[in-house]
Amino acid sequence: MAVVSQNTTFSKVFWPAVAWSVAIIFFFPIFWMVFTSFKTDADAVKPEFLFFFTPTLENYTNMTENYDYWRFAINSVITATFATIFALVVGVPAAYAMAFNPSRATKDVLMWMLSTKMLPAAAVLYPMTFLTKNFLDIYDTHFLIIVVLCLINLPIVIWMLFTYFKEIPKEIIEAGKMDGVDTWGEIKDILIPLAWGGVASTALLCFIFCWNEAYWTVRLTTTEAATLSKLIEGNRAPEGLFFGRLSAVSTAAVGPIVVLGWFCQKQLVQGLTFGAVK
Amino acid sequence: MANRTLPRLLQTPAVILLLFWMLVPLGMTLFFSFIRYVLNSLNRPEWTSPSFDNWRGFGNYAFVWNNDGFWLAIYNSVFMVCSIIILTVGLGLAIAVLVNRSFPGRGIVRVLLISPFFVMPAVNAVLWINMILDPVLGLQGLAIGGINDLITGLREFPVLGAFFSLWPELEPISFRASQTSAVAVIIMVTWQWTPFAVLIFMTSLQSEDQQQKEAAILDGANAWSQFVYLTIPHLARPIAIVVMIQAIFHLSLYAEIEIVSRGNGNKNLPYLIGEFATNNIGAASAAGIFAVILANIIAIFLLRMVGKTLMD
Repeated sequence: MAVVSQNTTFSKVFWPAVAWSVAIIFFFPIFWMVFTSFKTDADAVKPEFLFFFTPTLENYTNMTENYDYWRFAINSVITATFATIFALVVGVPAAYAMAFNPSRATKDVLMWMLSTKMLPAAAVLYPMTFLTKNFLDIYDTHFLIIVVLCLINLPIVIWMLFTYFKEIPKEIIEAGKMDGVDTWGEIKDILIPLAWGGVASTALLCFIFCWNEAYWTVRLTTTEAATLSKLIEGNRAPEGLFFGRLSAVSTAAVGPIVVLGWFCQKQLVQGLTFGAVK
Repeated sequence: MANRTLPRLLQTPAVILLLFWMLVPLGMTLFFSFIRYVLNSLNRPEWTSPSFDNWRGFGNYAFVWNNDGFWLAIYNSVFMVCSIIILTVGLGLAIAVLVNRSFPGRGIVRVLLISPFFVMPAVNAVLWINMILDPVLGLQGLAIGGINDLITGLREFPVLGAFFSLWPELEPISFRASQTSAVAVIIMVTWQWTPFAVLIFMTSLQSEDQQQKEAAILDGANAWSQFVYLTIPHLARPIAIVVMIQAIFHLSLYAEIEIVSRGNGNKNLPYLIGEFATNNIGAASAAGIFAVILANIIAIFLLRMVGKTLMD
Protein backbone atom coordinates (compact mmCIF):
# COMPACT_ATOMS: atom_id res chain seq x y z
CA MET A 1 0.00 0.00 0.00
CA ALA A 2 2.97 2.26 -0.31
CA VAL A 3 1.81 3.60 -3.64
CA VAL A 4 -1.37 5.59 -3.44
CA SER A 5 -2.68 5.15 -6.90
CA GLN A 6 -5.14 7.67 -8.23
CA ASN A 7 -7.28 4.94 -9.70
CA THR A 8 -8.60 3.06 -6.71
CA THR A 9 -12.34 3.18 -6.30
CA PHE A 10 -11.90 4.74 -2.89
CA SER A 11 -9.96 7.74 -4.18
CA LYS A 12 -12.30 8.05 -7.13
CA VAL A 13 -15.21 8.68 -4.79
CA PHE A 14 -13.56 10.13 -1.74
CA TRP A 15 -11.52 13.03 -3.14
CA PRO A 16 -14.26 14.40 -5.41
CA ALA A 17 -16.59 14.24 -2.40
CA VAL A 18 -14.10 16.24 -0.36
CA ALA A 19 -13.70 18.75 -3.20
CA TRP A 20 -17.46 19.16 -3.47
CA SER A 21 -17.78 19.63 0.30
CA VAL A 22 -15.09 22.29 0.36
CA ALA A 23 -16.71 24.12 -2.54
CA ILE A 24 -20.10 24.04 -0.83
CA ILE A 25 -18.62 25.33 2.44
CA PHE A 26 -16.95 28.21 0.60
CA PHE A 27 -20.08 29.07 -1.29
CA PHE A 28 -22.33 28.71 1.74
CA PRO A 29 -22.13 32.34 3.00
CA ILE A 30 -23.22 33.59 -0.43
CA PHE A 31 -25.98 31.01 -0.55
CA TRP A 32 -27.07 32.03 2.94
CA MET A 33 -27.23 35.67 1.94
CA VAL A 34 -29.41 34.90 -1.07
CA PHE A 35 -31.51 32.48 0.99
CA THR A 36 -32.09 35.01 3.77
CA SER A 37 -33.06 37.66 1.26
CA PHE A 38 -36.32 35.76 0.67
CA LYS A 39 -37.29 35.86 4.36
CA THR A 40 -39.12 38.72 6.02
CA ASP A 41 -37.06 40.71 8.52
CA ALA A 42 -39.02 39.10 11.35
CA ASP A 43 -38.58 35.55 10.08
CA ALA A 44 -34.90 36.01 9.36
CA VAL A 45 -33.91 36.00 13.04
CA LYS A 46 -36.25 33.25 14.23
CA PRO A 47 -34.56 29.86 14.68
CA GLU A 48 -37.81 28.03 13.86
CA PHE A 49 -37.74 29.56 10.36
CA LEU A 50 -34.06 28.80 9.83
CA PHE A 51 -34.61 26.51 6.86
CA PHE A 52 -38.35 26.39 6.31
CA PHE A 53 -40.29 29.56 5.78
CA THR A 54 -42.70 31.23 3.41
CA PRO A 55 -40.55 32.88 0.77
CA THR A 56 -41.31 36.47 -0.06
CA LEU A 57 -40.06 38.97 -2.62
CA GLU A 58 -40.95 41.98 -0.51
CA ASN A 59 -37.30 42.67 0.35
CA TYR A 60 -36.62 43.15 -3.33
CA THR A 61 -39.76 45.07 -4.16
CA ASN A 62 -39.14 47.41 -1.22
CA MET A 63 -35.47 47.88 -1.98
CA THR A 64 -35.93 51.32 -3.49
CA GLU A 65 -38.03 52.42 -0.55
CA ASN A 66 -35.75 50.94 2.12
CA TYR A 67 -32.36 51.82 0.72
CA ASP A 68 -32.81 53.96 -2.37
CA TYR A 69 -30.95 51.09 -4.03
CA TRP A 70 -31.20 52.24 -7.64
CA ARG A 71 -29.57 55.60 -7.04
CA PHE A 72 -26.47 53.88 -5.63
CA ALA A 73 -26.60 51.13 -8.24
CA ILE A 74 -26.79 53.65 -11.08
CA ASN A 75 -23.84 55.53 -9.59
CA SER A 76 -21.88 52.28 -9.46
CA VAL A 77 -22.74 51.49 -13.08
CA ILE A 78 -21.87 54.99 -14.30
CA THR A 79 -18.57 55.30 -12.44
CA ALA A 80 -17.38 51.76 -13.18
CA THR A 81 -18.35 51.95 -16.85
CA PHE A 82 -16.75 55.29 -17.60
CA ALA A 83 -13.66 54.52 -15.52
CA THR A 84 -13.23 51.32 -17.54
CA ILE A 85 -13.70 53.15 -20.85
CA PHE A 86 -11.20 55.85 -19.95
CA ALA A 87 -8.72 53.31 -18.66
CA LEU A 88 -8.92 51.52 -22.03
CA VAL A 89 -8.71 54.74 -24.03
CA VAL A 90 -5.52 55.69 -22.22
CA GLY A 91 -4.26 52.15 -21.77
CA VAL A 92 -4.60 50.67 -25.27
CA PRO A 93 -2.31 53.17 -27.04
CA ALA A 94 0.22 52.98 -24.21
CA ALA A 95 0.27 49.18 -24.18
CA TYR A 96 0.43 49.17 -28.00
CA ALA A 97 3.47 51.40 -28.01
CA MET A 98 5.21 49.40 -25.32
CA ALA A 99 4.50 46.03 -26.90
CA PHE A 100 5.44 46.87 -30.48
CA ASN A 101 7.99 49.64 -30.13
CA PRO A 102 9.73 48.84 -26.87
CA SER A 103 12.60 51.06 -25.92
CA ARG A 104 15.16 50.51 -23.22
CA ALA A 105 12.98 52.47 -20.81
CA THR A 106 9.83 50.42 -21.41
CA LYS A 107 10.54 47.88 -18.71
CA ASP A 108 11.24 50.59 -16.15
CA VAL A 109 8.12 52.52 -17.14
CA LEU A 110 6.01 49.39 -16.68
CA MET A 111 7.57 48.66 -13.31
CA TRP A 112 7.08 52.21 -12.20
CA MET A 113 3.42 52.10 -13.24
CA LEU A 114 2.97 48.99 -11.18
CA SER A 115 4.62 50.62 -8.20
CA THR A 116 1.98 53.37 -8.17
CA LYS A 117 -0.52 50.60 -7.46
CA MET A 118 1.35 49.77 -4.29
CA LEU A 119 1.06 53.19 -2.75
CA PRO A 120 -1.12 52.79 0.36
CA ALA A 121 -4.29 54.77 -0.18
CA ALA A 122 -4.48 55.85 3.45
CA ALA A 123 -1.20 57.71 3.08
CA VAL A 124 -2.72 60.17 0.63
CA LEU A 125 -6.23 60.27 2.09
CA TYR A 126 -6.07 63.78 3.46
CA PRO A 127 -4.34 65.40 0.48
CA MET A 128 -6.96 63.88 -1.79
CA THR A 129 -9.79 65.17 0.37
CA PHE A 130 -8.13 68.57 0.61
CA LEU A 131 -7.43 68.84 -3.12
CA THR A 132 -10.87 67.75 -4.23
CA LYS A 133 -12.85 69.60 -1.58
CA ASN A 134 -11.05 72.89 -1.09
CA PHE A 135 -9.04 73.27 -4.24
CA LEU A 136 -10.70 71.67 -7.23
CA ASP A 137 -14.21 71.58 -5.81
CA ILE A 138 -15.01 68.19 -7.30
CA TYR A 139 -15.57 66.29 -4.05
CA ASP A 140 -18.51 63.89 -4.25
CA THR A 141 -18.91 64.13 -8.02
CA HIS A 142 -19.14 61.34 -10.57
CA PHE A 143 -16.24 62.93 -12.39
CA LEU A 144 -13.92 62.54 -9.41
CA ILE A 145 -14.85 58.92 -8.75
CA ILE A 146 -14.44 58.07 -12.43
CA VAL A 147 -10.99 59.64 -12.53
CA VAL A 148 -9.87 57.96 -9.31
CA LEU A 149 -11.17 54.54 -10.32
CA CYS A 150 -9.58 54.93 -13.73
CA LEU A 151 -6.21 55.84 -12.24
CA ILE A 152 -6.05 53.12 -9.63
CA ASN A 153 -6.82 50.50 -12.27
CA LEU A 154 -4.75 51.96 -15.10
CA PRO A 155 -1.54 50.10 -14.15
CA ILE A 156 -3.34 46.73 -14.15
CA VAL A 157 -5.10 47.56 -17.41
CA ILE A 158 -1.86 48.50 -19.15
CA TRP A 159 -0.10 45.43 -17.78
CA MET A 160 -2.81 43.07 -18.89
CA LEU A 161 -3.08 44.62 -22.34
CA PHE A 162 0.69 44.57 -22.64
CA THR A 163 0.86 40.83 -21.92
CA TYR A 164 -1.88 40.18 -24.49
CA PHE A 165 -0.38 42.43 -27.18
CA LYS A 166 3.04 40.86 -26.71
CA GLU A 167 1.60 37.55 -27.92
CA ILE A 168 0.68 39.05 -31.28
CA PRO A 169 3.40 38.55 -33.93
CA LYS A 170 5.11 41.81 -34.72
CA GLU A 171 5.12 40.94 -38.42
CA ILE A 172 1.38 41.43 -38.68
CA ILE A 173 1.65 44.99 -37.45
CA GLU A 174 4.69 45.61 -39.67
CA ALA A 175 2.77 44.32 -42.67
CA GLY A 176 0.09 46.86 -41.94
CA LYS A 177 2.73 49.54 -41.87
CA MET A 178 4.01 48.45 -45.27
CA ASP A 179 0.53 48.77 -46.66
CA GLY A 180 0.51 52.36 -45.51
CA VAL A 181 -1.89 52.00 -42.62
CA ASP A 182 -1.48 54.76 -40.07
CA THR A 183 -1.12 54.14 -36.33
CA TRP A 184 -4.76 54.68 -35.57
CA GLY A 185 -5.64 52.22 -38.31
CA GLU A 186 -3.17 49.70 -36.94
CA ILE A 187 -4.80 49.87 -33.52
CA LYS A 188 -8.36 49.94 -34.76
CA ASP A 189 -8.24 47.51 -37.69
CA ILE A 190 -5.42 45.12 -36.83
CA LEU A 191 -4.64 45.13 -33.13
CA ILE A 192 -8.09 45.34 -31.54
CA PRO A 193 -9.66 42.65 -33.72
CA LEU A 194 -6.69 40.33 -33.12
CA ALA A 195 -6.55 40.92 -29.36
CA TRP A 196 -10.29 41.26 -28.93
CA GLY A 197 -10.54 38.56 -26.27
CA GLY A 198 -7.75 40.12 -24.27
CA VAL A 199 -9.19 43.62 -24.47
CA ALA A 200 -12.63 42.37 -23.47
CA SER A 201 -11.42 40.46 -20.45
CA THR A 202 -9.24 43.37 -19.38
CA ALA A 203 -12.30 45.59 -19.52
CA LEU A 204 -14.37 43.07 -17.58
CA LEU A 205 -11.79 42.75 -14.84
CA CYS A 206 -11.33 46.50 -14.62
CA PHE A 207 -15.08 46.90 -14.28
CA ILE A 208 -15.19 44.35 -11.45
CA PHE A 209 -12.38 46.08 -9.57
CA CYS A 210 -14.11 49.45 -9.98
CA TRP A 211 -17.40 48.05 -8.76
CA ASN A 212 -15.88 46.52 -5.64
CA GLU A 213 -13.60 49.42 -4.74
CA ALA A 214 -14.34 50.43 -1.18
CA TYR A 215 -11.78 52.96 -0.02
CA TRP A 216 -11.94 55.98 -2.28
CA THR A 217 -15.57 55.53 -3.22
CA VAL A 218 -16.47 55.68 0.47
CA ARG A 219 -14.01 58.40 1.49
CA LEU A 220 -14.54 60.79 -1.40
CA THR A 221 -18.32 60.78 -1.60
CA THR A 222 -21.23 61.78 0.60
CA THR A 223 -24.47 61.52 -1.37
CA GLU A 224 -24.24 62.61 -5.02
CA ALA A 225 -21.76 60.06 -6.32
CA ALA A 226 -22.07 57.45 -3.57
CA THR A 227 -21.76 53.88 -4.88
CA LEU A 228 -23.03 50.55 -3.60
CA SER A 229 -19.96 50.10 -1.37
CA LYS A 230 -20.96 53.26 0.43
CA LEU A 231 -24.58 52.12 0.71
CA ILE A 232 -23.63 48.81 2.32
CA GLU A 233 -21.05 50.37 4.60
CA GLY A 234 -23.67 52.86 5.74
CA ASN A 235 -25.89 50.00 6.88
CA ARG A 236 -23.12 48.12 8.61
CA ALA A 237 -24.72 47.26 11.97
CA PRO A 238 -28.40 46.50 11.79
CA GLU A 239 -28.19 44.43 15.01
CA GLY A 240 -30.36 41.75 13.54
CA LEU A 241 -33.29 44.01 12.84
CA PHE A 242 -33.13 43.98 9.09
CA PHE A 243 -31.39 40.77 8.06
CA GLY A 244 -33.94 40.12 5.34
CA ARG A 245 -33.79 43.43 3.60
CA LEU A 246 -30.03 43.77 4.15
CA SER A 247 -29.51 40.39 2.50
CA ALA A 248 -31.63 41.45 -0.44
CA VAL A 249 -29.72 44.66 -1.04
CA SER A 250 -26.38 42.86 -0.58
CA THR A 251 -27.44 40.22 -3.08
CA ALA A 252 -28.43 42.91 -5.54
CA ALA A 253 -25.08 44.63 -5.00
CA VAL A 254 -22.83 41.61 -5.56
CA GLY A 255 -24.97 39.36 -7.77
CA PRO A 256 -24.13 40.84 -11.17
CA ILE A 257 -20.44 41.06 -10.39
CA VAL A 258 -20.14 37.51 -9.10
CA VAL A 259 -21.74 36.29 -12.32
CA LEU A 260 -19.43 38.48 -14.42
CA GLY A 261 -16.52 37.15 -12.41
CA TRP A 262 -17.31 33.57 -13.36
CA PHE A 263 -16.56 34.50 -16.96
CA CYS A 264 -13.11 35.87 -16.36
CA GLN A 265 -11.53 33.47 -13.88
CA LYS A 266 -8.59 32.83 -16.11
CA GLN A 267 -7.93 36.47 -16.91
CA LEU A 268 -8.06 37.20 -13.21
CA VAL A 269 -4.89 35.20 -12.69
CA GLN A 270 -3.04 37.19 -15.35
CA GLY A 271 -4.48 40.48 -14.20
CA LEU A 272 -3.74 40.06 -10.54
CA THR A 273 -0.29 38.58 -10.91
CA PHE A 274 0.69 41.06 -13.62
CA GLY A 275 1.31 38.25 -16.06
CA ALA A 276 3.82 36.53 -13.80
CA VAL A 277 1.65 33.42 -13.48
CA LYS A 278 0.14 32.02 -16.63
CA MET B 1 11.66 51.79 -37.36
CA ALA B 2 13.37 55.12 -37.00
CA ASN B 3 10.33 56.85 -35.74
CA ARG B 4 10.42 56.86 -31.97
CA THR B 5 8.31 59.93 -31.45
CA LEU B 6 4.92 58.38 -32.02
CA PRO B 7 5.26 55.44 -29.59
CA ARG B 8 6.46 57.84 -26.96
CA LEU B 9 3.54 60.12 -27.66
CA LEU B 10 1.10 57.28 -27.22
CA GLN B 11 2.46 56.48 -23.77
CA THR B 12 2.50 60.06 -22.64
CA PRO B 13 -1.10 60.39 -21.39
CA ALA B 14 -0.81 57.30 -19.23
CA VAL B 15 2.55 58.35 -17.84
CA ILE B 16 1.47 61.91 -17.11
CA LEU B 17 -1.76 60.85 -15.45
CA LEU B 18 -0.04 58.34 -13.22
CA LEU B 19 2.74 60.77 -12.47
CA PHE B 20 0.25 63.33 -11.24
CA TRP B 21 -1.71 60.73 -9.35
CA MET B 22 1.39 59.62 -7.55
CA LEU B 23 3.41 62.78 -7.08
CA VAL B 24 0.86 65.43 -6.19
CA PRO B 25 -0.89 63.76 -3.22
CA LEU B 26 2.29 62.08 -2.03
CA GLY B 27 4.18 65.36 -2.22
CA MET B 28 1.47 67.00 -0.17
CA THR B 29 1.58 64.21 2.39
CA LEU B 30 5.33 64.64 2.64
CA PHE B 31 4.95 68.39 3.12
CA PHE B 32 2.19 68.05 5.73
CA SER B 33 4.25 65.51 7.63
CA PHE B 34 6.87 68.17 8.36
CA ILE B 35 4.55 70.95 9.53
CA ARG B 36 2.16 71.49 12.41
CA TYR B 37 -1.24 71.17 10.79
CA VAL B 38 -4.52 70.52 12.60
CA LEU B 39 -8.08 71.03 11.38
CA ASN B 40 -9.47 72.54 14.59
CA SER B 41 -7.54 74.46 17.19
CA LEU B 42 -8.93 77.10 19.50
CA ASN B 43 -5.56 78.18 20.90
CA ARG B 44 -3.44 78.02 17.81
CA PRO B 45 -5.60 79.04 14.85
CA GLU B 46 -2.46 79.59 12.77
CA TRP B 47 -1.94 75.81 12.71
CA THR B 48 -5.20 75.22 10.90
CA SER B 49 -3.84 76.06 7.47
CA PRO B 50 -0.80 74.46 5.86
CA SER B 51 2.18 76.80 5.78
CA PHE B 52 5.97 76.66 5.95
CA ASP B 53 5.78 78.97 8.98
CA ASN B 54 4.53 76.03 11.03
CA TRP B 55 7.58 73.91 10.26
CA ARG B 56 7.98 71.09 12.76
CA GLY B 57 10.84 69.09 11.28
CA PHE B 58 10.64 65.49 12.33
CA GLY B 59 8.34 66.35 15.22
CA ASN B 60 5.32 64.59 13.72
CA TYR B 61 7.41 61.50 13.05
CA ALA B 62 8.62 61.50 16.65
CA PHE B 63 5.04 61.97 17.87
CA VAL B 64 3.81 59.04 15.82
CA TRP B 65 6.82 56.89 16.68
CA ASN B 66 6.30 57.45 20.43
CA ASN B 67 2.55 56.92 20.19
CA ASP B 68 1.43 53.60 21.72
CA GLY B 69 -1.46 53.45 19.28
CA PHE B 70 0.99 53.45 16.37
CA TRP B 71 2.80 50.35 17.54
CA LEU B 72 -0.46 48.62 18.35
CA ALA B 73 -1.65 49.46 14.83
CA ILE B 74 1.59 48.09 13.34
CA TYR B 75 1.19 44.97 15.46
CA ASN B 76 -2.45 44.55 14.38
CA SER B 77 -1.56 45.14 10.72
CA VAL B 78 1.23 42.58 10.78
CA PHE B 79 -0.78 40.09 12.86
CA MET B 80 -3.76 40.21 10.54
CA VAL B 81 -1.74 40.18 7.32
CA CYS B 82 0.44 37.27 8.44
CA SER B 83 -2.50 35.20 9.71
CA ILE B 84 -4.44 35.77 6.51
CA ILE B 85 -1.46 34.87 4.35
CA ILE B 86 -0.67 31.68 6.26
CA LEU B 87 -4.30 30.56 6.17
CA THR B 88 -4.95 31.41 2.52
CA VAL B 89 -1.73 29.84 1.25
CA GLY B 90 -2.26 26.69 3.33
CA LEU B 91 -5.89 26.30 2.37
CA GLY B 92 -5.19 27.41 -1.19
CA LEU B 93 -2.53 24.73 -1.70
CA ALA B 94 -4.72 22.00 -0.24
CA ILE B 95 -7.75 22.97 -2.29
CA ALA B 96 -5.81 23.50 -5.51
CA VAL B 97 -4.30 20.03 -5.28
CA LEU B 98 -7.72 18.64 -4.42
CA VAL B 99 -9.40 20.20 -7.44
CA ASN B 100 -6.52 19.52 -9.83
CA ARG B 101 -7.93 16.21 -11.04
CA SER B 102 -10.88 15.40 -13.22
CA PHE B 103 -14.11 14.44 -11.51
CA PRO B 104 -17.80 14.97 -12.20
CA GLY B 105 -18.88 18.57 -11.80
CA ARG B 106 -15.38 20.02 -11.61
CA GLY B 107 -16.49 23.12 -13.49
CA ILE B 108 -19.23 23.82 -10.98
CA VAL B 109 -16.85 23.24 -8.08
CA ARG B 110 -14.49 25.81 -9.57
CA VAL B 111 -17.27 28.33 -9.99
CA LEU B 112 -18.48 27.83 -6.42
CA LEU B 113 -14.93 28.11 -5.08
CA ILE B 114 -14.00 31.30 -6.88
CA SER B 115 -17.23 33.18 -6.12
CA PRO B 116 -16.27 34.67 -2.73
CA PHE B 117 -13.48 36.59 -4.40
CA PHE B 118 -15.94 38.76 -6.32
CA VAL B 119 -18.02 39.78 -3.32
CA MET B 120 -17.39 43.42 -2.52
CA PRO B 121 -15.52 43.90 0.79
CA ALA B 122 -18.34 45.87 2.39
CA VAL B 123 -20.87 43.11 1.71
CA ASN B 124 -18.39 40.47 2.86
CA ALA B 125 -17.96 42.20 6.22
CA VAL B 126 -21.66 42.98 6.77
CA LEU B 127 -22.64 39.43 5.84
CA TRP B 128 -20.13 37.73 8.12
CA ILE B 129 -20.36 39.94 11.17
CA ASN B 130 -24.15 40.06 11.23
CA MET B 131 -25.61 36.97 9.68
CA ILE B 132 -22.91 34.43 10.44
CA LEU B 133 -20.81 35.50 13.40
CA ASP B 134 -23.36 37.39 15.49
CA PRO B 135 -23.45 35.79 18.97
CA VAL B 136 -27.23 35.94 19.27
CA LEU B 137 -28.90 36.20 15.87
CA GLY B 138 -26.18 34.97 13.56
CA LEU B 139 -25.68 31.35 12.63
CA GLN B 140 -23.03 31.09 15.32
CA GLY B 141 -25.47 32.16 18.04
CA LEU B 142 -28.20 29.90 16.68
CA ALA B 143 -25.85 26.92 16.46
CA ILE B 144 -24.57 27.37 19.99
CA GLY B 145 -28.09 27.90 21.31
CA GLY B 146 -29.16 24.69 19.56
CA ILE B 147 -26.29 22.69 21.04
CA ASN B 148 -27.06 24.03 24.51
CA ASP B 149 -30.72 23.06 24.14
CA LEU B 150 -29.67 19.62 23.01
CA ILE B 151 -27.39 19.14 26.03
CA THR B 152 -30.10 20.37 28.40
CA GLY B 153 -32.47 17.84 26.85
CA LEU B 154 -29.94 15.04 27.21
CA ARG B 155 -29.56 15.80 30.91
CA GLU B 156 -33.09 14.51 31.46
CA PHE B 157 -32.02 10.97 30.57
CA PRO B 158 -31.14 8.57 33.38
CA VAL B 159 -27.48 7.58 33.72
CA LEU B 160 -26.41 9.51 30.58
CA GLY B 161 -27.88 12.65 32.12
CA ALA B 162 -25.30 12.52 34.90
CA PHE B 163 -22.58 12.55 32.26
CA PHE B 164 -24.08 15.43 30.31
CA SER B 165 -24.72 17.52 33.40
CA LEU B 166 -20.93 17.70 33.72
CA TRP B 167 -20.83 19.53 30.38
CA PRO B 168 -20.55 23.27 30.62
CA GLU B 169 -23.04 25.58 28.97
CA LEU B 170 -21.42 26.83 25.74
CA GLU B 171 -20.92 30.56 25.43
CA PRO B 172 -21.20 32.17 22.00
CA ILE B 173 -18.24 34.35 21.05
CA SER B 174 -18.84 38.02 20.42
CA PHE B 175 -16.75 38.92 17.39
CA ARG B 176 -17.14 42.65 17.88
CA ALA B 177 -15.25 42.57 21.18
CA SER B 178 -11.72 43.91 21.31
CA GLN B 179 -10.16 40.47 21.91
CA THR B 180 -11.82 38.84 18.92
CA SER B 181 -12.52 41.54 16.33
CA ALA B 182 -9.18 40.92 14.61
CA VAL B 183 -10.09 37.24 14.34
CA ALA B 184 -13.39 38.19 12.69
CA VAL B 185 -11.48 40.20 10.08
CA ILE B 186 -9.05 37.33 9.54
CA ILE B 187 -11.93 34.89 9.01
CA MET B 188 -13.77 37.04 6.48
CA VAL B 189 -10.71 38.06 4.50
CA THR B 190 -9.42 34.48 4.46
CA TRP B 191 -12.77 33.40 3.07
CA GLN B 192 -12.53 36.01 0.35
CA TRP B 193 -8.89 35.51 -0.63
CA THR B 194 -8.47 31.74 -0.41
CA PRO B 195 -10.19 31.51 -3.82
CA PHE B 196 -7.54 33.83 -5.21
CA ALA B 197 -4.76 31.55 -3.96
CA VAL B 198 -6.62 28.48 -5.24
CA LEU B 199 -7.05 30.00 -8.67
CA ILE B 200 -3.40 30.93 -9.04
CA PHE B 201 -2.08 27.63 -7.71
CA MET B 202 -4.50 25.74 -9.92
CA THR B 203 -3.35 27.66 -13.00
CA SER B 204 0.22 26.90 -12.12
CA LEU B 205 -0.40 23.23 -11.34
CA GLN B 206 -1.66 22.73 -14.87
CA SER B 207 1.83 23.38 -16.17
CA GLU B 208 3.40 20.85 -13.80
CA ASP B 209 5.55 18.24 -15.49
CA GLN B 210 3.41 15.11 -15.60
CA GLN B 211 6.20 12.86 -16.84
CA GLN B 212 8.32 13.72 -13.86
CA LYS B 213 5.39 12.82 -11.67
CA GLU B 214 4.86 9.49 -13.36
CA ALA B 215 8.54 8.73 -12.98
CA ALA B 216 8.23 9.50 -9.29
CA ILE B 217 5.27 7.14 -8.95
CA LEU B 218 7.24 4.38 -10.68
CA ASP B 219 10.04 4.99 -8.23
CA GLY B 220 7.58 4.38 -5.42
CA ALA B 221 7.15 7.95 -4.21
CA ASN B 222 3.89 8.32 -2.29
CA ALA B 223 1.46 11.20 -2.72
CA TRP B 224 2.94 13.19 0.14
CA SER B 225 6.52 13.09 -1.09
CA GLN B 226 5.35 13.92 -4.61
CA PHE B 227 3.67 16.97 -3.12
CA VAL B 228 6.67 18.02 -1.04
CA TYR B 229 9.45 17.34 -3.55
CA LEU B 230 7.74 18.09 -6.85
CA THR B 231 4.65 20.22 -6.41
CA ILE B 232 5.89 22.65 -3.78
CA PRO B 233 9.11 23.52 -5.65
CA HIS B 234 7.06 23.95 -8.82
CA LEU B 235 4.74 26.33 -6.98
CA ALA B 236 7.49 28.31 -5.23
CA ARG B 237 7.13 31.31 -7.48
CA PRO B 238 3.30 31.49 -7.47
CA ILE B 239 3.37 31.13 -3.69
CA ALA B 240 5.78 34.04 -3.40
CA ILE B 241 3.58 36.14 -5.66
CA VAL B 242 0.41 35.27 -3.74
CA VAL B 243 2.13 36.18 -0.49
CA MET B 244 3.34 39.54 -1.72
CA ILE B 245 0.18 40.61 -3.53
CA GLN B 246 -1.85 39.76 -0.47
CA ALA B 247 0.58 41.59 1.80
CA ILE B 248 0.13 44.73 -0.25
CA PHE B 249 -3.66 44.44 -0.42
CA HIS B 250 -4.19 43.51 3.22
CA LEU B 251 -1.85 46.12 4.65
CA SER B 252 -4.51 48.58 3.53
CA LEU B 253 -7.58 46.75 4.84
CA TYR B 254 -10.16 49.31 5.79
CA ALA B 255 -13.81 48.52 5.09
CA GLU B 256 -13.72 45.28 7.08
CA ILE B 257 -12.15 46.99 10.09
CA GLU B 258 -14.69 49.78 9.98
CA ILE B 259 -17.68 47.47 9.69
CA VAL B 260 -16.63 44.85 12.26
CA SER B 261 -15.80 47.10 15.18
CA ARG B 262 -14.70 50.53 14.01
CA GLY B 263 -11.13 49.76 14.95
CA ASN B 264 -11.90 48.42 18.41
CA GLY B 265 -9.29 45.71 18.88
CA ASN B 266 -8.32 45.48 15.21
CA LYS B 267 -7.13 48.99 14.43
CA ASN B 268 -4.51 48.74 11.69
CA LEU B 269 -2.28 51.39 10.21
CA PRO B 270 -4.71 52.76 7.58
CA TYR B 271 -7.44 52.99 10.19
CA LEU B 272 -5.15 54.83 12.59
CA ILE B 273 -4.21 57.23 9.81
CA GLY B 274 -7.91 57.81 9.17
CA GLU B 275 -8.41 58.63 12.83
CA PHE B 276 -5.46 61.01 12.94
CA ALA B 277 -6.81 62.64 9.78
CA THR B 278 -10.00 63.72 11.52
CA ASN B 279 -7.90 66.42 13.17
CA ASN B 280 -4.13 66.02 13.35
CA ILE B 281 -3.10 66.12 9.69
CA GLY B 282 0.61 66.37 10.54
CA ALA B 283 0.52 63.11 12.46
CA ALA B 284 -1.69 61.43 9.85
CA SER B 285 0.80 62.38 7.15
CA ALA B 286 3.81 61.15 9.12
CA ALA B 287 2.02 57.84 9.80
CA GLY B 288 1.18 57.74 6.08
CA ILE B 289 4.85 58.02 5.17
CA PHE B 290 5.58 55.12 7.52
CA ALA B 291 2.88 53.13 5.72
CA VAL B 292 4.49 53.95 2.37
CA ILE B 293 7.84 52.73 3.65
CA LEU B 294 6.30 49.51 4.96
CA ALA B 295 4.53 48.85 1.64
CA ASN B 296 7.69 49.62 -0.33
CA ILE B 297 9.74 47.03 1.49
CA ILE B 298 7.36 44.37 0.21
CA ALA B 299 6.81 46.01 -3.18
CA ILE B 300 10.50 45.93 -4.04
CA PHE B 301 10.58 42.13 -3.75
CA LEU B 302 7.36 41.77 -5.70
CA LEU B 303 8.51 44.04 -8.50
CA ARG B 304 11.74 42.11 -8.78
CA MET B 305 9.88 38.83 -9.18
CA VAL B 306 7.42 40.23 -11.69
CA GLY B 307 10.16 42.02 -13.59
CA LYS B 308 12.02 38.77 -14.26
CA THR B 309 9.33 37.49 -16.62
CA LEU B 310 8.61 40.84 -18.17
CA MET B 311 10.50 40.83 -21.45
CA ASP B 312 10.88 37.14 -22.21
